[in-house]
Amino acid sequence: MISNGQDDNAIFSSRGLLLLFLVPTMLILLVFLYFPAWHSILLSFYRNNLFLGTRKYIGLENYINLFTGPLAPAFIQSFFQTLVLSGLIVAGGISASVFIAIQANKKIAGGRIYRMLLIWPFALSPAVAGTIFLFIFNPEVGIMNTMLDFLFSIKPRWLDSPYLAVMLVVFAAVWKNMGYNIVFYLAALQNVPLDPLEAADIDGAGSWLKFRRVLLPLLSPTTFFLVFTNLSYSFFETFGLIDILTTGGPVGPPGPLDNTGITTTIMYKVFQDGFGGSSNMGFAAAESVILMILVGLVAFFQFSYMGKRVHYQG
Amino acid sequence: MKRILLVLLIAVLSLSAITAAGSQETETQVKEIYFWHAFSDAARSQWIQDRADEFNAMQSDYKVVLETKGSYRDTLQAAVLADKQGTPPHLVQLFEVGSQLAYDTGMFKSVGDIGSFDTSDYIQPVLNYYTINGTVNSIPFNSSSPVLYINKDKLVEAGYDADYVPATFGDVIEVLEAARARGVSGAKFSVNLHAWFFEQWMAQQGAMLVNNGNGRDGRATENNLNSQAAINIGNFFAELSRKNLYTYTGKFEDWGGSDAIFQEGQAMLHITSTADLGNITSAVEGKFNLGVGFMPIPDGTERNGTVIGGASVWVAKNHPADELTASRDFALYMTNMENMVSWHKLTGYYPVRNSSIDALKAEGWFDSDANQIVAFNQLLATKVNAATAGAMAGTLLDNRTIIETAIQKIIQGGDVKAALDEAKVLSDAKLKEYNANF
Repeated sequence: MISNGQDDNAIFSSRGLLLLFLVPTMLILLVFLYFPAWHSILLSFYRNNLFLGTRKYIGLENYINLFTGPLAPAFIQSFFQTLVLSGLIVAGGISASVFIAIQANKKIAGGRIYRMLLIWPFALSPAVAGTIFLFIFNPEVGIMNTMLDFLFSIKPRWLDSPYLAVMLVVFAAVWKNMGYNIVFYLAALQNVPLDPLEAADIDGAGSWLKFRRVLLPLLSPTTFFLVFTNLSYSFFETFGLIDILTTGGPVGPPGPLDNTGITTTIMYKVFQDGFGGSSNMGFAAAESVILMILVGLVAFFQFSYMGKRVHYQG
Repeated sequence: MKRILLVLLIAVLSLSAITAAGSQETETQVKEIYFWHAFSDAARSQWIQDRADEFNAMQSDYKVVLETKGSYRDTLQAAVLADKQGTPPHLVQLFEVGSQLAYDTGMFKSVGDIGSFDTSDYIQPVLNYYTINGTVNSIPFNSSSPVLYINKDKLVEAGYDADYVPATFGDVIEVLEAARARGVSGAKFSVNLHAWFFEQWMAQQGAMLVNNGNGRDGRATENNLNSQAAINIGNFFAELSRKNLYTYTGKFEDWGGSDAIFQEGQAMLHITSTADLGNITSAVEGKFNLGVGFMPIPDGTERNGTVIGGASVWVAKNHPADELTASRDFALYMTNMENMVSWHKLTGYYPVRNSSIDALKAEGWFDSDANQIVAFNQLLATKVNAATAGAMAGTLLDNRTIIETAIQKIIQGGDVKAALDEAKVLSDAKLKEYNANF
């Protein structure tokens, strides 16, 4: 692939020059990505405590403890929860953003103001977003339950009913990141060529058919990009929101989900084990290696499966 | 022209080099003492800054410099990393539950080993916690313990005397049920779901949280999270929840959320730290009459007392002897008799010295605020033993999450014994991992 591109390109005739231009990027990746990743992998084979500074090689013991013994069920639960939460956040975030972006893209009075307002949640820090939701959803004195109690005489337990808490975290995470998605979709919509849509009109396609068969494929490069950034958002950056809003809780209903908090993702568990409590860094490193593998697998499937269906214009 | 510019440039540069060298010389004469503390709010950090300014003005050899690194645990982590890089702070404010961790890092020196340190003036239960292996390890600073907060208006509505204080778990349930029967709104108990209260209730029953004399006779190897004392606490939450008498936000360790529930009149009884007495008193002013009482304890147990909470000031050992002495002197100045009096008035933390309490009594402070004296009496009535000294173990912070999860299971209707058995297994696994470092 690369060599093909290179042959077509008259400016970069020498491979050496091309590599030279890659050096700054590679250096940054090396220092800030590959070295820490390598260090984590090494660390996962040691018993290492942050406070004590101890470092003793224990082979695969950390990994064995992840999958067998008393500490395993919590990790396995958080593994599946990470997948489910990420799936919900990505699916919810992308579909809501497409819908809203299409509405905001319509030529209506004050459209610019709507577009601006839609973007602002993205400017909030996760901690601020979490705090806002915490205030709103305090079951006794929050504005949401005060309102629901007044209207329908119900006071849902948002933060300790397991499924409500999951929904709340997903909703907050989607809301927080929606501005980012909408900006990209708006940009893409402004660049959508009108000819295919007109052609569809002439062929008598209804609005759903037009959306499904014409607009969505035209937006697919943006969607492809956003699925990836949203995945990394839901894996890593929801951490701050979860920490403030639920601290990983509440514990799930009796059964396979009652081993740890139902909104505990692997990322949050890495934090709990590595930086919370007694700071067992080796154990946390082993968890983060599993997370690394998970992210790698998801990215691989996305590129190999979804990548084929992306329609690039021109 | 160019030459003149060059000469000028050289002149300016050499001048500045000389003055720079000069100022450096004067700076090295004053040695800086770094104190890392964990207060980010204006009132408390300004109080510490004022004490540092006073200390700096009192003598000219040392200058106390204050820095904050976030929460208690962030501060400890930052101090450990700084020590590894060869630039540790001199003084670090650390919370009680991190004592074993801090001790195990080996970067601190027992303050009792720096010259002579007179401990006779400190309140015994406070000193008790910070004495490790027979020596006083750190300088008591901000100390607190939990007390019961009562909405007296609801109490009267429920048909009780305004001064009634439920002494036991049974009393709590009885008074809440009586209030509900009379149609009092918010007939609930609203302690936040924090393992600190579990730890306190263990101590109140004279029970050890961990084995080996609460980790003080030797390194702890087992947690007593499913002992009878623990089950008593679990049963209390089970009964509260079954009778729908308990409320919280649903989030672990949500101090602010539970305080809000109580302050807004959605709960009748509440437990939180004495350090919040000032805040809660002003928040409910004009809303309802506030009462304060001893923490209720399980029925049929003898009141053993509370464990001191809060933090103390630790001295990092990797500094020259004179700086260690100066560091200790500052910490002692900051916590001297008059300063502990003003600290207590500002925050509600205990003045940790007997002389400070005497001074407060002499000026009639306790007469002016009856609720303050309740907190004191609870502390002074505490029996000095291993249970109230507080547990020592490296994984007490892990235990907090484990205990909170177990109590949440109980609140959601889970079996008390099963939840606590599981908590013991998990906490023992964590402790075994931690102890394997030695």
